[in-house]
Amino acid sequence: MKKQYLLVFVFAGLLAIFNSCQKSTEYKALIVTGQNNHKWEASSPILKQLLEQTGLFTADIVKTPPKGGDMNTFNPDFTKYNVVVIDYNGDSWSDKTKTAFVEYVNNGGGVVLYHAANNSFPEWKAFNLMAGLGGWGDRSEKDGPYVYYKKDSMIIDTTAGRGGSHARRHEFEVKMRNAEHPVTKGLPARWIHGNDELYSQLRGPGKNMEILATAYADTTGGGTGRDEPILMTISYGRGRIFHTALGHVDEDGGPAMECVGFIVTFQRGAEWAASGKVTQKIPNDFPNAGGASLRTDFKELTLEDDLAKIAMYDITKSTKYFTDLQSRIRAEGKTPEALQKFEKLMIKVLENKAATDDAKRLILRELSWMGSDLSVPVIKELAKNDQLKDVAEFTLERLQPAK
Amino acid sequence: MFDKSTRRDFLKRSATVATGALILPQIIPSTALGMGGKLPPSDRIVMGAIGVGSQGQSNMRDFLALKDQVQFVAVCDVDTNHQAKAKGYADEANKNKDCRVYGDYREFLEKEKLDAVCIALPDHWHGIIYTEAANKKLDVYGEKPICRTIKDGQTIVSAVKKNNIIWQTGSWQRSKPNFHRAVELVRNGRIGKIKNIEVGLPNGSKGIGTPPIVEVPAELNWEMWLGPALKVPYRGVSHWNWRWILDYSGGQLTDWAGHHIDIANWGADLERTGPVEISGEGVYPRDGIYNVPVEYDFLCKYANGLEMRVANSSRLVHGGGATWYGEKGWINVDRGRLSASDPKILQEVIGANEVQIYKSDNHWQNFIDCVRSRKETIAPIEVAYRAISVALLGEIAMTTGQKIQWDPEKQEIIGNPIASRLLSRPYRQPWNLPTI
Repeated sequence: MKKQYLLVFVFAGLLAIFNSCQKSTEYKALIVTGQNNHKWEASSPILKQLLEQTGLFTADIVKTPPKGGDMNTFNPDFTKYNVVVIDYNGDSWSDKTKTAFVEYVNNGGGVVLYHAANNSFPEWKAFNLMAGLGGWGDRSEKDGPYVYYKKDSMIIDTTAGRGGSHARRHEFEVKMRNAEHPVTKGLPARWIHGNDELYSQLRGPGKNMEILATAYADTTGGGTGRDEPILMTISYGRGRIFHTALGHVDEDGGPAMECVGFIVTFQRGAEWAASGKVTQKIPNDFPNAGGASLRTDFKELTLEDDLAKIAMYDITKSTKYFTDLQSRIRAEGKTPEALQKFEKLMIKVLENKAATDDAKRLILRELSWMGSDLSVPVIKELAKNDQLKDVAEFTLERLQPAK
Repeated sequence: MFDKSTRRDFLKRSATVATGALILPQIIPSTALGMGGKLPPSDRIVMGAIGVGSQGQSNMRDFLALKDQVQFVAVCDVDTNHQAKAKGYADEANKNKDCRVYGDYREFLEKEKLDAVCIALPDHWHGIIYTEAANKKLDVYGEKPICRTIKDGQTIVSAVKKNNIIWQTGSWQRSKPNFHRAVELVRNGRIGKIKNIEVGLPNGSKGIGTPPIVEVPAELNWEMWLGPALKVPYRGVSHWNWRWILDYSGGQLTDWAGHHIDIANWGADLERTGPVEISGEGVYPRDGIYNVPVEYDFLCKYANGLEMRVANSSRLVHGGGATWYGEKGWINVDRGRLSASDPKILQEVIGANEVQIYKSDNHWQNFIDCVRSRKETIAPIEVAYRAISVALLGEIAMTTGQKIQWDPEKQEIIGNPIASRLLSRPYRQPWNLPTI
């Protein structure tokens, strides 16, 4: 009897392993777009790419008719999807479509509201409950209070006034307000976001809403002097909504969308909205208080990519790829063996005749503490180069101290 | 002409005659040094200053505020603008034009006959110049942090001890009443046995990218400014902003370690020991030539079970300063602030039979008093070394991402030859750490 149970357990276990090995994506996403005061033609394909590169989603894009078109023709079947991403700010949907969307969320469907989506549908009550907060579209005290932070306290401010504003685009610091939520767990407590519009003076019902992160709208840049909510979660019926105020799009994407902070919170927010959990790892290039971090082609760089970029390094351009390498070494080089894995790749840069002297200087300095005898021959060779002699000798002295 | 026979010569002569330093204070008691507060010129401490940028000039002004107890006769800096400014302070006090200026500390140390020297340099120069000054038997008022590497620090400590000089570290918080009071309360058990400590230091700079190479200003000797550090082209970063580049400094962490970690050690009676295990993480700028940590957060464990967390202040409940957590409450002290879990703790009276903490009301006066009395200052060298070594070990833990085991007696990293390389740093030739 006992043996039979054991067999069942083993079989169940094998089945679980088999399932987890299957490469098929787990969730289906629908990106709704077609009208926006932003360049939706640029942003929607990027959002699709970002969702699909997680390996968790397949994403469809559905377009509404253009502005002034017959909205009765817009009837997507939301029920086929785990998450609906709203990249839309335009004409109101038909009542039938609105009802279908509310039913989808009520039944546990996930929603991601992206940037200007919170400008849309000022008249649609259910949508504003899902958004928590919104701006523009003649929003005012009739739509709900301003919600923001002053130091460590959340302020619910019923003062009369317009909803929605932003100062000129700039880089700004994002501050975590809930580091335990699945979307934000493990992210730095503060990080610099790429040049973006800092949505401010948002107001709305703010019911069943949790603010995950805020950003201080500095008065010197024309901001409100408040810590404005920029990442939020809202529950509506059985549905989960992730609301990001970040990500203003330029023709080619631009720094707000290229920001790894935007990318990763969007990807994590979408997974959470779809499933209630987040399984994605936090990448090495996530920004921190030390500066913004952009992916100009929306791809995460591998260690090999970093080293290829470092080899062509020009100090006046960027040290980003080198600081990426350093953070990988700190995170993964915990043993001499692990360090040698890096060292072997770094030696290739030193041996690369096309690599710049600037690149070699950086690599030599880093090797001075984490290198081994493996590096010594190539460093001795580089010590013959007048441009590199001093730093090569520095490194040799550390690697082979005179007794 | 200035009389080059210095107070030090006088002290040495007296010591020879009186056969022992112990009775020196009786010959020249520091409390009976003047007539109506006026000192005869022969009783003045003759000083020079090496490194007279912003902090060096600030120290000179603090010494000159002691009026005729001190006379500056020579200054040295690699920037002629600094030289002129500092000479101006000295000449104004001396009412003459005689203060000598130098651009090379070697010539300064060779030619000048001084009692004491006040030194305020970028950290990468400390190892060489502090040791050389001690080897010249000069008493030193030296800026914190006293070293850029552990090896530099060990060398300086040995030189100060071997040459038996008086050393005062520029950790002036020790001479302020709120810090003294905090330490007095903690050391006398007013919050019970200490369980753990938090030290909050300022957040670091995000950086400036990579500025272009520019011509070195005519007033600056860039080669000499770099000294033992690796040669790099001049990008307009030297005075003051050297603080943000690892070649010269560890950033706010190492700058402020000499203040708040030092105070934390004082309160917890860790002044002459160190942690046994250090681990933590730093947040570094993503781009540009500034590369010191913007944020840092590491934990030091001590042999007696105590733990000290050192972090940028925005990560800590009490923000900046030193906070001791005891079995009966906590005390936090920072500049202009002293607070406790219960305000009554701060009213506590310390009895005559309890631990009495060294008291100084003026950090520069304390140095001058000790130069005369040959007694230990309020901020002696080993204590300063122990404060900065906490930060330097934290820096090693953050650089390597590894947990560091440290032997505070032997002052060695245990079982990690790779991390041990970071205990010292090769000097660019022709510079070398002096032998003692």
